[in-house]
Amino acid sequence: MQKQRKYLYEGMYILSAVLSEEARQKALDKITSGITEKGGEIQKMFDQGRRKMAYDINKRREGHYFILYFTAFSKTIEQLWKEYHLNEDLLRFMTIRTNEVPEKIEFQPLPES
Amino acid sequence: MKSLPDSPFSKKKKSCPFTAAGTKDIDYKDIETLSRFITEKGKILPRRISGVSDYHQRNLVQAIKRARYMALLPFVSEAQ
Repeated sequence: MQKQRKYLYEGMYILSAVLSEEARQKALDKITSGITEKGGEIQKMFDQGRRKMAYDINKRREGHYFILYFTAFSKTIEQLWKEYHLNEDLLRFMTIRTNEVPEKIEFQPLPES
Repeated sequence: MKSLPDSPFSKKKKSCPFTAAGTKDIDYKDIETLSRFITEKGKILPRRISGVSDYHQRNLVQAIKRARYMALLPFVSEAQ
């Protein structure tokens, strides 16, 4: 039997900005419970707030950005993606592997040359 | 001996801003840095112009493409 491996993932989610506060929380709970139900663990969550998107997605100009750090089995990621594609409140998502959970999302500007 | 004047054809050596700053990974969420390496139209600047090292250019390209997918950066920005 192949051994399942757990990795740390970083997921960025864009939820529709037209959702009410309640509906957004519900949609977010759906995402987090989807991860935990499959044996994953949420490490950290960042609410990036509303943002104007660089181009329209599903005829929406604005999106509510969330960044989640979670551990999950590599096989469950595929199942999660299938779920996400069916979720209409989720405009766009991306999950990538990372090595560490940052304290906060902040960047140093490059020194001017 | 008199030193020769700089040839008008000699190229000034460009240095990689990421190497100078000691950056290891380029994050796709860092839009301010990434937007320095795209043109007004949204194209990725070539290495011969920006002077970014090979290693960092490859990371940069991936970061820009990820940022584009998440609508943080435009694929094409229309002329004003």
